[in-house]
Amino acid sequence: MRYLLLFLLCLLPVGLAHADATAPRPALLDQVLQQLARHGKVRANFTQTRENPALAQPQASHGDLLFVVGHGMIWHMREPLEDTLVMTPSGASRIDANGDIAPVRDGNRGVTQVSQMLQSMLAGNADEPLRQFDVTVEGSLAHWSMRFTPRQSRMAKVLAAIQLSGNEYLQAIDVELRSGEATRIRFENTRDAGELTGVEQRALGGP
Amino acid sequence: MMRLTPGLRASLFGLGALVLTLLGAWLLFGRGTSPLQTDLLAMLPPTERQPVAEEAVERLSRASGDRLVFLLASKNDDDAKDAARTFGAALAGKPGIASAIAELPPFDLDQLTTPFLPFRFHLLTAADRALWQAPSPDVAGMLTRRLNEPFGAGIGTRLTDDPFGTLQHWLNTQPFNRSTLIPEDDLLTAHRGDTTYVMVIATLAGSSYDDQIQRPALASVEAATHTVTAAHPDVHILRTGTMFYAAAARAGAERDVHVVGIASTVGIALLLIGVFRSPRPLLLAFLSTAIGVIAAITITIAIFGQLHLLTLVFGAALLGEAVDYSIQYLCARANAAQAWNAEAGVRQVRPALLLALATSLLGYALLGMVPFPALRQMACFAIVGMLVACFSVLWLLPALARPAARRPVSPALSRIALSWQRPVSTLAQARRGLVVLGVLVVAAAPGWCLLDHDDDIHLLISPPAVLEQDTRDIASIAGMGTGSQFYLVQGDTVEQTLQHEEALTARLQAMIEAKQLDAWTGVTTMLPSAQRQQSNRDAFARVLENRSVLADAAEKAGFRAGALDAFANAWPGRPMTLDDWMAMPVSMPFHYLWMGQRGHAFASIVLPQGQDDSAQLAAAADGLPGITFVDKPASVSALFGRYRGYADVWLGAALLLVGVAFAWRYGLRAAPRVLAPPLLGIGLTLAALGYLGQPLTLFHVMALMLVLGVGANYAVFLREGEPHTAQRPGAAYAGVLLSAITALLSFGLLALSTMPALRHFGTTLLLGIGFTVLLAPVSLPRETSR
Repeated sequence: MRYLLLFLLCLLPVGLAHADATAPRPALLDQVLQQLARHGKVRANFTQTRENPALAQPQASHGDLLFVVGHGMIWHMREPLEDTLVMTPSGASRIDANGDIAPVRDGNRGVTQVSQMLQSMLAGNADEPLRQFDVTVEGSLAHWSMRFTPRQSRMAKVLAAIQLSGNEYLQAIDVELRSGEATRIRFENTRDAGELTGVEQRALGGP
Repeated sequence: MMRLTPGLRASLFGLGALVLTLLGAWLLFGRGTSPLQTDLLAMLPPTERQPVAEEAVERLSRASGDRLVFLLASKNDDDAKDAARTFGAALAGKPGIASAIAELPPFDLDQLTTPFLPFRFHLLTAADRALWQAPSPDVAGMLTRRLNEPFGAGIGTRLTDDPFGTLQHWLNTQPFNRSTLIPEDDLLTAHRGDTTYVMVIATLAGSSYDDQIQRPALASVEAATHTVTAAHPDVHILRTGTMFYAAAARAGAERDVHVVGIASTVGIALLLIGVFRSPRPLLLAFLSTAIGVIAAITITIAIFGQLHLLTLVFGAALLGEAVDYSIQYLCARANAAQAWNAEAGVRQVRPALLLALATSLLGYALLGMVPFPALRQMACFAIVGMLVACFSVLWLLPALARPAARRPVSPALSRIALSWQRPVSTLAQARRGLVVLGVLVVAAAPGWCLLDHDDDIHLLISPPAVLEQDTRDIASIAGMGTGSQFYLVQGDTVEQTLQHEEALTARLQAMIEAKQLDAWTGVTTMLPSAQRQQSNRDAFARVLENRSVLADAAEKAGFRAGALDAFANAWPGRPMTLDDWMAMPVSMPFHYLWMGQRGHAFASIVLPQGQDDSAQLAAAADGLPGITFVDKPASVSALFGRYRGYADVWLGAALLLVGVAFAWRYGLRAAPRVLAPPLLGIGLTLAALGYLGQPLTLFHVMALMLVLGVGANYAVFLREGEPHTAQRPGAAYAGVLLSAITALLSFGLLALSTMPALRHFGTTLLLGIGFTVLLAPVSLPRETSR
C-alpha cells in the first residue's frame, strides 16, 4: 500500500510522465514539464472531493497548499476541520494550532519520499514515475491533460488511473480506484508563493 | 627406559614419523572437507556471561551468515535493473550457490492487510493510543480526518474495514513497511541521488566457512560479475556477506603461509649451505624440522579436529625455532672435524638441547593454559613440534650423520661471532657490567614510559577496505543494522518477555524523540504484549461497546447508514498471539528476533540502529528487569585486555621458573648472568616498542613469551657449548648466531603478515630475538672470556 501511495503521490501535484521509458517522449510532455518547472514556490487553494460507496454523499475538504521545490509541501486543510500536514524529504510532521511542529511517526513514509521525487521532477527529472506508469498526453500547452495507468499488474489491481490536467499550473487531479472509490482535487487561484511565513520556513527547513 | 641400539632407535623413530606423515596427509586431504578453520571469531572463547547471549550472537550472525547481498548500482536505471536480472540469472544454480533472487515472487497487496483484520481492535500506535485514551475522544473528528487525508485515502486498508485508519497507522510502523528498498519492476530498488541501486540476494549451498562451498561460490560470483560488467560497463556491484570476509581472511593467511614458509625455507637453506658448505647438514636440518612440523599438524588436527589458520601461519614461523636443535648438533659435528662420533656428539649436546627444550616447553605450556582456543592450539602445535624436532635430533640424526663433516663451520661466521662476543663479554664483567646495565636501563626507561596498550578487536581482524566500504554502503542504502550490538530480553513467560521488551522500547522511543537513535527493530513492534493489546482494546471499548456512539459519529462524518455495521460486528476480534505472528508470511524475515524458550526462560532480541556510542545504548538497559545489552566487539576487546593482563603475570612467572631451572643447573651466583640475555632482551624490546609508538597488545606479550623461550635457549647453548669448542674460539657463539638468524628469518617474516595480530607478533620477535642474541655472550662465565 505504501508503494502504491508513494507512486500516486509522486505524480499527483506535478504530473508528468510518458508511455514507456524506451518509447519516444511526447514533445508536449517535456513542454509541460518545463512550463511547470518555472515556478519554484507555488500557493494554491484546493478543494478535494472523495467518492466512496460507503459514503452518503461525496466528502469535500477545502484549504490551501504551499509547494516549495527542494523543501517539500504544506497541506493546510481548513474545512471541515483544521489540520496542517507538512511533507518534507526528512519526514512528515503536523503543525498544531499554536504553530508547534511535531513529527508524525505512524504516517505513511511514502509521503516523505514523494517530496524528494517531486523536487527531482520539477528540476526536470521525471524518470521515476515514468518507470511505473504508461501515459497519454492530450491538448496543448494552454490546456493539457495526461492519463497515467499503472504498468505493474500488482498496482493495476487496485489503481485504475490517475488523470492530471492544467494550463500554466496544475489545475486538477483525479484518482480512480478499482473499488469504485475516487478522489478529485481542484486547484484555484494558483500563484507564485512570495514570502513564506516564519512557521512555514521552520516547517520546511528554512527555504 | 628400554635399552635400544642407536640404529634400531633411529629406525623406530623413522617409522613413527612415516606413520604420522601418512595420518597427517589423510587428516588434511583425505576427508573431503578441509580442516582449515577460517572463522576468526571461532578461535575466541565465549565472551558473554550468559550462554543465551552467546547463542543470540550466533543466531544474529547466522541470520545473515549464509547469505550474500549485492547491490547493482548505475546512474542509468535500466542498466541497473537489466544488470540485476542478468546477475541473478547468472548466479542461480551455479556451484556453491543454493539460490539467487533478483525478481520478487508475485504477491497480492491484500496480503499485507487482510491477515491483520482479526486483531484490528488490539493494535494501536502510540499516537493513536493517546487519542483513544483521551477522556472524551472526538470520534466523529477522527473519522472526518481519515476521510479527508491529502490525496485521498482508500489505498491500503479499506474505509469500511478500518474507518478510523488505526490499523493503517499501525501497519505503517511495521518493519516490513519501513524498508528503504521498494519494489519497482518486480525488483527491490533504492534511489540515492541520481544512482539506482537494485538488490540481489543469494543463499549459499552451505556454510560460509566451508572450503568446499567457499571456493566454488566465489568463482560463481566472479563469473557472474564478469558477465554483468561485460554487458553493462557502467554498472558497479557492491557486495557483502560473511563468506567474503572468511574468504579474504583465508586468502590473507594463505599468502602469509606462502611468504613466510617459502621465504624462511629458502633463507634458511642458503644460510645453512653457506655456513656448513655441504648439502648433508642442510638435508638433516630440514628433515628434523619437517618431521617436527608434520607431527605438530597431525597431532593438532587429531586433538582439535581442525587447524586454525592463525595456528598454521604461526606454525610456518615455528620452523625457525625447531631448526635450532639440529643446528646445534650439526655445529658440534662440524667443529669436531675428524674426531666426530655421532653418539658422542649426541651426548655432548644433549644437556643443552634438553634444557633448551624444557624452557621452551615451559613457555608454551603456560601459553596452553590460557582458556583461549586459538592460543591452546598454537601451544599444542608448538609443544608437539619442538618435542618431536628435538628428539629427532637425539634419536634419528645420529644414524644419518655418522660420517665426519668434511669442512668445519665457515670461518667467516666464527670470526664475526668472536668479534662481537669478545667485547660484549668483556664489557659484561664485574663492575663494568653493572655500569653498562645501568646505561641500558637509563636508555630504555623513556621507552617504557611511552608504552601504551590497545585491545581493540580490529587488531585481530582487518578485512579489505573495499569490502568494509561495500558493507557500510549496503547497510546504509538497504537500512540494515550490523547486528553486533543488541539487547537480549528475557522473561519467565512469553508475556513477561514481551512486557520486558516494551519497557526497554519505551526508553528507546524516548531516545528517538531526543534524536539519539534512528530506529530499533524488535518483536513487540509487530506483536505487542497481551497487556498492551488489552489496554488497546479497552481504549476502543467506549466507542465500540456502544453502537449508538459509533452510528452517530458515522452519520455525522457522512457515512451511509449501516456502512460501518460490518466493522462494528467485528468487535472485539481477538488478540494476536505468538503463534499468529509466527504464522504470518510477512513476519517470516523477523523470526530470528524471537529466540523462543531457553531452559525455563524465553528470550528475544532488540536491534538498535543509528547510535555508535555503546555507553548510551547500555544506559538504556540500566535497571530494567530481564534486559542485557550485548556488545560483542566491546566484549572481545575487553577479553583481549584481560588476557593481556594475565599474560603479563605469566611472563613474570615464566621468567621465575626459568630462573629456578638455571639456578639448579648453574648455581645461584651464575644464574642471573645466564638469565640476563632473555631478561634484557624483553626489557629492551618493550622500550623499543615504546619508542616506536606501538601500543602493547595481547599478541606482543605472547611474542615476548617466545622471546623468553628462545632467549633462554641461546644463553644455554652458548654457556653449554663454549667448553666443547675451546679449541675454536667463537664457534659456540657462531652456532647461536646461526640459530638466531634462522629464527629471525622465519618469525621475523611474520612482520610482513596481512593480519595485524601476526604483524605485531613478528615485530616483537624480530626485536626481541635480535636484542637477545646480541646480549647472549653476557651469559659466558668470567674465565672463558679471558
